[in-house]
Amino acid sequence: MKYRLDEFIGGRPWKFTYDRPVIGLDLGSRASKGVLLTGKDIFVTLIATGLYMQETADELIEKLLVLANVQRSEIGFITSTGYGRIALSFNDIPFDVVTEISCHAMGAHALYPEARTIIDIGGQDSKAIKVDRTNGMVVEFAMNDKCAAGTGQFLEKAAVLLGITLDQMGTYALTSKSPAIISSQCVVFAESEVISLRAKGARVNDSEAVANIAAGIHYSAARRVSNLLGRIGTEPELIFTGGVSNNPGMRHALEELIGNSFIPTTFDMIYAGALGAAVYATQHAARGTAVSSASFDKQHTATTHINELIEQEQRAFIDKTDGRKKGRLFLRLYTAGSA
Amino acid sequence: MTKPMDEKRVGYFCAYTPLEVLNAAGVGHARLLKAGDSETVAAGELFTQSVFCDFSKSCIGGFAQGDPFYSAVDKLYNFHTCASMKRVTELIEGFVPVKLLNLPKLRDLESSRLFFRDEIFELKRDLFELIGHEISDSYIREQIVRYNILRKLIKNISELRKRDNPPISGKDFVEPARAFYYVPPEKLIDTHDKIYRALSAVSGAGSRPLRLMISGSIAADGDRRLLDILEGEMGARVVVEDHCAGLKPFYNTVKETGDPLLALADGYLDQAPCTRMKTLQDNVNFAGQLAQEYQVDGVLHVYLKFCSCYGITKKPFLNHFQSIDIPVLDLSSDYSGNDYGQIKTRIKAFIEVINARRSKKNGSNTICRRCTG
Repeated sequence: MKYRLDEFIGGRPWKFTYDRPVIGLDLGSRASKGVLLTGKDIFVTLIATGLYMQETADELIEKLLVLANVQRSEIGFITSTGYGRIALSFNDIPFDVVTEISCHAMGAHALYPEARTIIDIGGQDSKAIKVDRTNGMVVEFAMNDKCAAGTGQFLEKAAVLLGITLDQMGTYALTSKSPAIISSQCVVFAESEVISLRAKGARVNDSEAVANIAAGIHYSAARRVSNLLGRIGTEPELIFTGGVSNNPGMRHALEELIGNSFIPTTFDMIYAGALGAAVYATQHAARGTAVSSASFDKQHTATTHINELIEQEQRAFIDKTDGRKKGRLFLRLYTAGSA
Repeated sequence: MTKPMDEKRVGYFCAYTPLEVLNAAGVGHARLLKAGDSETVAAGELFTQSVFCDFSKSCIGGFAQGDPFYSAVDKLYNFHTCASMKRVTELIEGFVPVKLLNLPKLRDLESSRLFFRDEIFELKRDLFELIGHEISDSYIREQIVRYNILRKLIKNISELRKRDNPPISGKDFVEPARAFYYVPPEKLIDTHDKIYRALSAVSGAGSRPLRLMISGSIAADGDRRLLDILEGEMGARVVVEDHCAGLKPFYNTVKETGDPLLALADGYLDQAPCTRMKTLQDNVNFAGQLAQEYQVDGVLHVYLKFCSCYGITKKPFLNHFQSIDIPVLDLSSDYSGNDYGQIKTRIKAFIEVINARRSKKNGSNTICRRCTG
């Protein structure tokens, strides 16, 4: 897909340019997104995340180059984000890595600078992010634990149980007049709740039962996410990003629970992370900061010696050869610096 | 030196165990602090429900698996620490003789001090039964002096991290700190003195790394994941720890005069406080003061899942760090290892937040933030 920048920003100045095209990659747990940014156009593409991150990334880049009709050698910088961001390397293009939390904030901010609070729901995690309106930087964030309740995967599992597609989930949910109560926060338990609800609903009109359960699922997931929001506070304007932002049922459930509506977006916010990565690419390209692994792992020799002493003592403890002097020990006067 | 084969070996869990008494008794002693792998947790889980923290499960697991280090222990002494560890101690009685002692939590009360002195006396009495000879007060007093020297040394080593460019990493500091629990003090004083001198001599030149404090639940000997991520992968530096396996037990010393048992009671109750001690405000204030003293750019407040000490105190800590304008990342952790990627993402995003905050020119009206995971 190709968008013209001014479709979104109108006459507003665009401060994220670099003299060459840049690419942002967002390698998600389910889908991988790519954005190629020129001074005036945004090219976007999406593929399923493969087993090998590098292959997935290369495929995205290939697609973007064809879409935008530019040569690989013209690309000035690549920034990657998302769950597979670490496993990449490009030897011919300067490259670095930014977390999806920062990228979603920057992507939302770039197109919708009025956004203050971001909800991002992806395949495996959900986040609430507060963004600095002046520069798109993250001020504060809350992220779900390793549990996938309230994420895309949760909805996906539920859809399978209901015998409908993930795309139908949201539209079904919207038609419900009395959402089912799904109390469990855990996907596994919610699953058994859904099964028992289905068993009950078999006697009534089936699609109505499905709609009620679908709505219940959305409210259950939305509750998880609004709890995250509770930790950072809800300052308008709100914006919804990530793959699940295209689900009208989730959007509705969240708006109802939060008591606030999201900024309407014409740009598909599944690309918010990749767009943010591309924006970071323009900034990092201009600064000339490519990836560098800043690690500190040289151990001081003084402490390696201690390590040996500890092992020796532990060995003696086990072998029962760690005898101590009984009785009084001469304790020499000793002053250890000033505490 | 060679040793009598009948010497007893004693294990303990908690930093509130008066080592001076153990050392005066001439027993071998070690803090049973090894944990961090999921297998040991699984071995402990055979005995517990899931709502015990992975550290307490590992303590059971260490005995259940017959870890040679744990098996070498003739008796386990545990001062009633947190709710979980008390129950764990009762369970471990199936593997090794155990003596459970009380630890009063209300530090403000005079009666707590006297009561704790009585408990330490009971520890001394029980050790007498174990070893068959008296432990004299003057010898305990001597151990107090010795341990104070060691505490000051470790604190001094830690304080070298106050430099803009610390001569040691947080991971390096773990070594002198954990040695305290495994190596007899009489052997350790010279070693630590050498370490202190060697590190003091390291040039302070170089750029200022991102300075962080880790605060919260116990960081077991073997649970280095956060240090690996922060220092090994992110290039940040952990300059101070507000937990009981880091700087905390070395922060204060014990009075060297008067009744040694009362001095120990006071000294241990007045150490940098664990969250189970009351008042909670003391602990919160201490954590904030430590963060300021070491000039950290951010704090990781770590909750070991199901930790009964830190499971309910999150808000006061987070609010306090916020109120003194230090960004804080609220992080829950366990020993499963399967959330490595997510923890890394959170930490990196937190570092991005701190850097954005530092680079923002007019920092005057930015409100300090907390980040939660």
